[in-house]
Amino acid sequence: MHPALQGLITIIIGVGGCVGYFWLSNLVLDKVLFPPRGPNAGRNINRANMIRPWLFLFPALAALGLYLAYPVFETLRLSMIERDGVEEHWVWFANYARMAAEPKFIEALRNNFLWLLVVPAASTAFGLLAAQLTDRLRWGNLAKSLIFMPMAISFVGAAVIWKLVYDYRPIDQEQIGVLNAIVVALGGEPQTWLQIPFWNNFFLMVVLIWIQTGFAMVILSAALRGIPEETVEAAIVDGANPFQIFFKIKVPQIRGTIVVVWTTITLVVLKIFDIVFAMTNGQWGTQVLANYMFDKLFRANDWGVGSASAMVIMVLVTPILVWNVVNARREMK
Amino acid sequence: MFPKPIQSAPAPARIAYKAALPVALVLWLLPLIAVALTSVRSAGDITAGNYWGWPTDFHLWENYTAIFENTPIGKYIWNSFRVTIPTVIGAVALSCMTGFALAVYRFRANLLVFFMFVAGNFVPFQILMVPVRDLTLQMGLYNSVTGLALFHIAFQTGFCTLFMRNFIRAMPFELIEAARVEGVSEFRIFWYVVLPLMRPAIAALAVLIFTFIWNDYFWALVLTQGADSQPITAGLYSLNGQWVAAWHLVSAGSIVAALPPVLMFFLMQRHFIAGLTLGAVK
Repeated sequence: MHPALQGLITIIIGVGGCVGYFWLSNLVLDKVLFPPRGPNAGRNINRANMIRPWLFLFPALAALGLYLAYPVFETLRLSMIERDGVEEHWVWFANYARMAAEPKFIEALRNNFLWLLVVPAASTAFGLLAAQLTDRLRWGNLAKSLIFMPMAISFVGAAVIWKLVYDYRPIDQEQIGVLNAIVVALGGEPQTWLQIPFWNNFFLMVVLIWIQTGFAMVILSAALRGIPEETVEAAIVDGANPFQIFFKIKVPQIRGTIVVVWTTITLVVLKIFDIVFAMTNGQWGTQVLANYMFDKLFRANDWGVGSASAMVIMVLVTPILVWNVVNARREMK
Repeated sequence: MFPKPIQSAPAPARIAYKAALPVALVLWLLPLIAVALTSVRSAGDITAGNYWGWPTDFHLWENYTAIFENTPIGKYIWNSFRVTIPTVIGAVALSCMTGFALAVYRFRANLLVFFMFVAGNFVPFQILMVPVRDLTLQMGLYNSVTGLALFHIAFQTGFCTLFMRNFIRAMPFELIEAARVEGVSEFRIFWYVVLPLMRPAIAALAVLIFTFIWNDYFWALVLTQGADSQPITAGLYSLNGQWVAAWHLVSAGSIVAALPPVLMFFLMQRHFIAGLTLGAVK
């Protein structure tokens, strides 16, 4: 197991490096740069304490600066230039204009909005339903684990699995696809599910809903458990029926968590790529922004439009980003 | 909990209620059940059109060894481990330090840095694609496990730092102050006071990051190609393209690919859920 040994050594060097950096830099700061001795002892302690947080932060900030901050601005720049061989010149918003004129882009935008409307709502609703129904069940924990299991499977893995569900064979053959087998057993005709215009988008969404429901359920069921019993008991005493208890007593108390789950899934949806890429690759009217961008960059080699569409995703995420920062700030006060 | 407990409802309603849940559950898991069933069928069953009947014979061993013998799936899985494990360790180690600094020290830029981390957490990864690819190419790390792992470490550090910071913030601050009064150096406070208390957070985060990275496909596609460096997600996709007709092998492959994170999930369920809850709610 030579490569395994190599990996082990890399890990040891990595973690050792981290700890070593940390220990040494603190040592240098305290003992060499600003020793708490001599006439300036007090000032030195203060200085050391001013610098110390940056020692802890430096590795992460450097990594994020290189791999996160710089690329964001670089993409912004790329979206506004044209590459002529090696020559680059600024065309400002020409790429955006070119992109907006493409029907595939409009289709991607429309589909992304459809995904945004359907997936977070459906996943949260199913998650809430599952959380409520399994709450007091004896085998509820087992049921929860099973509902949650798709979450541990990769999007690509799920896409491959669902391809088997939507698989189509000509009418005279036995259907291997789960859905077509059911349809045929019920007396219907097999369909090429992924090629039905417009509705195929929803068949793709089902895959993501299938994955994200488990996530919503786990978070919401923790929230449901946190509801004070007295509120529910009071409602029972007042003669509320189960639906009233659920919608008027329980749901309002976990509204904050519902919003968090909703926005988390919204973020996943805005970036949705793997499922569409692996199942239809944007054919038959199922294009989404992320796959459109990938298509432009890697197949059409059109860097300008590709970067411009990446910026569109960024702009769509920005309201959620700002809202979260504002929220985090409010919590501080 | 209900005003009229389900136990006192009329018998048909009671049975319907009890039966509905398992039925819904089976429907929910039908795709997985179908894949598991298909993965043990023989090629003969598939060509003869026996998809839904009982398999004529079980080819569990044959199918699963076939994918390891005839395809580089073993290599892909090995690559996945080579990317995932260093990323988990690197991101957790880095974020312990940054989380500690942001939670414990009061300095002027603290809030600014914190908000930068919050914001960075929401940056869609697509926007990073071209520059990161160029960067990796320039560093000579394109198409290498190291390049992929390095990027993952950097990108995950944002989320991990927020997670760790919030966790340390919730600890009793008196512990740290008491240690300071005793004259313990800052590094020792981190190492002996805070780090041992962070164990649950570290476990939760490690499980979470493991599944995130194992299941990543986008960056595997952008930064690697070929069986020498691609992880299993990318491998599964290319295998799926190669054997469109051999559903029994594709099914076996997708089960093998999903096995490590699913096992991880079942073994470490408590940590996994704790991680998701902490990460989402705070």
